[in-house]
Amino acid sequence: MTGSLSVLGAALAFGLGAIGPGIGIGMIGSKTIESMARQPEMAGRLQTTMFIALGMTEAIALLGFVLAFVLYGA
Amino acid sequence: MAAPAVTAAGAEEASPLSQGIARLLHELEVLPLNGEKAEVAGSFSPENFVLTNYSFWLLVAVVLMLVFFIVASRKSQLVPQGIGNLAEAGVEFVRNGICVDVMGPEGKKYFPFIATTFFFVLINNLLGNIPPALPGTGTVGTTFLWGIIVFLVYNGIGIKKNGFVPYIKSLVPSGTPGWLAPLIFTLEVVSHMLRPFTLGVRLFANMYAGHIMLGVFAVFMAISLEHFTPVSALVLPLSFVMQVLLRVFELFVAVLQAYIFTILTAVYISGALHASEH
Repeated sequence: MTGSLSVLGAALAFGLGAIGPGIGIGMIGSKTIESMARQPEMAGRLQTTMFIALGMTEAIALLGFVLAFVLYGA
Repeated sequence: MAAPAVTAAGAEEASPLSQGIARLLHELEVLPLNGEKAEVAGSFSPENFVLTNYSFWLLVAVVLMLVFFIVASRKSQLVPQGIGNLAEAGVEFVRNGICVDVMGPEGKKYFPFIATTFFFVLINNLLGNIPPALPGTGTVGTTFLWGIIVFLVYNGIGIKKNGFVPYIKSLVPSGTPGWLAPLIFTLEVVSHMLRPFTLGVRLFANMYAGHIMLGVFAVFMAISLEHFTPVSALVLPLSFVMQVLLRVFELFVAVLQAYIFTILTAVYISGALHASEH
């Protein structure tokens, strides 16, 4: 297989890039559940805000995903 | 439990596995309907504008959506029944759950665009779950184009509401020290430029990765049926269960990604509307 180092780089880029957002998404989820348990009447608005925050956190992982593709092609 | 069994099968039969994965990736490739490989890589010549397998299913999805809404709204009544009820629930969810929730009462003005985005993405995502069909949103072409449309629309709304110069000025929050302003401005411009990109990649990655996951377990099943070994007895039922569970999960992801795409669109429009306030 040619360019196997770039394949390794691609795997590392996605793998390492997913660590931070993984922790972040976990924190968003746990805090939302905590807040919902404390104030169930706020559940609807908390959920909306949670999805917005999830979207922004996910974006960081996606940068790694794209970088992986770029490196894989290199 | 699933992981060790799967790697055991993979190590034992590396050659059929890589063959299966290669076939799977080929199935998900963007190809013209007549079967010949398209000349991609930045060529805009007219003969490259052909109906591909993905754009065919995208057209099917759009026609399905049109038919659904025309049938649903043909007999509009005060108390809708059957299919009209379903359509009304969906439309009401977009209006109340996305437009009004995120943008406040003035969000109703942007309801047509938001609803179009939501139902377009949703029907494409869902159609991809019916086996011969491919999700129209499973290529970067569709999703990046929608990201760019959203980018143009929310910036257009912001410029129309605030005026061009105040809108550009609002990228730097008021009260920023003068020496920091160029840095903040650059950062804000970059983050705005990343928005259509992340919208597109998020949707594409979720659809594409979901289909690869489904396909990989299908490949495991096919291999364990073809080369029946003691390991197969373990891999086969596990892969089958995973296949069923993933299919349900994919339906959930299809709805969730349509929701996230739309709600981020609404958040961007809302941010552009209130740009001059902070």
